[in-house]
Amino acid sequence: MAAVSTPLSKPAHADTSYAAVTSAEAGHETYAERLRLNRMGMWLFFISEAFLFGALLATRFYLWGADSRPELDQNIGLIVTTVLLLSSISMYTAEVAARHGQWKVFSIGAWITMIFGAIFFFGVVIFEWGLFPQLYKGHLTPWENHYGAVVFAMTGMHALHVVSGIVLIFIMWRLQRKGRFTAERTWGIEAAAIYWHYVDVVWIFFYPALYLIGHVAGH
Amino acid sequence: MGYYRTGIIVAIVLAVLTAFEFWLAHVNPGVTFLMLIAAAKAILVIWFFMHVKRLWSAEEEH
Repeated sequence: MAAVSTPLSKPAHADTSYAAVTSAEAGHETYAERLRLNRMGMWLFFISEAFLFGALLATRFYLWGADSRPELDQNIGLIVTTVLLLSSISMYTAEVAARHGQWKVFSIGAWITMIFGAIFFFGVVIFEWGLFPQLYKGHLTPWENHYGAVVFAMTGMHALHVVSGIVLIFIMWRLQRKGRFTAERTWGIEAAAIYWHYVDVVWIFFYPALYLIGHVAGH
Repeated sequence: MGYYRTGIIVAIVLAVLTAFEFWLAHVNPGVTFLMLIAAAKAILVIWFFMHVKRLWSAEEEH
């Protein structure tokens, strides 16, 4: 544990023994305990995020009902879902490799994950949002009706997390290149990995909600 | 390769479940079964990929 700052009531110059005791007490917090707290904090963050994604999911069922959905390209839905599933596998491989000190495998896994994440993101942006009509003409707009609004809200919020996950994995890859991790201490990589898997879990629910549940409206 | 075996098995199960839900949606697009499959997939990811068990398991390093 790094040195702990002395409380305001006890100036460092006045009572070095107090500071020493404080540091010693803080020193009882082993790496394992800190790791446990880090993990707990991460999972609390996931729970808080679950409310956000849960609200979006509830919005979908409230506005569309359980028996209707917009006409979305089923092939695109299945492809981007498969890509995200593959990215979870590569991220799992990267994390396991890091825990065994196989840094080359970690790098390859991290980069494959980032590439798959980018493919997923551009798949949504190009094919669902239709932001590049010269490549693919999308048929939904967020302002058109409640179908477009919900699709854009759900995929938009999820895509934002995909992008932040890619950034996080890239940062961990850079830190690893600088030698910040050892096989015994890989918390940053673990955090990035479980964040990425969380993004995957969200899509596991979003995919059927957007693409599969209910009949196409107007058909 | 042994390190990665669990991940590979889970990935295969996830792929099978995804294919099954895709097929099921074309047969019966009801919310119940599709959400049950999604929940099963989520549990697999949370348990094996997100290592939720580490929250209460004693581990010195990593």
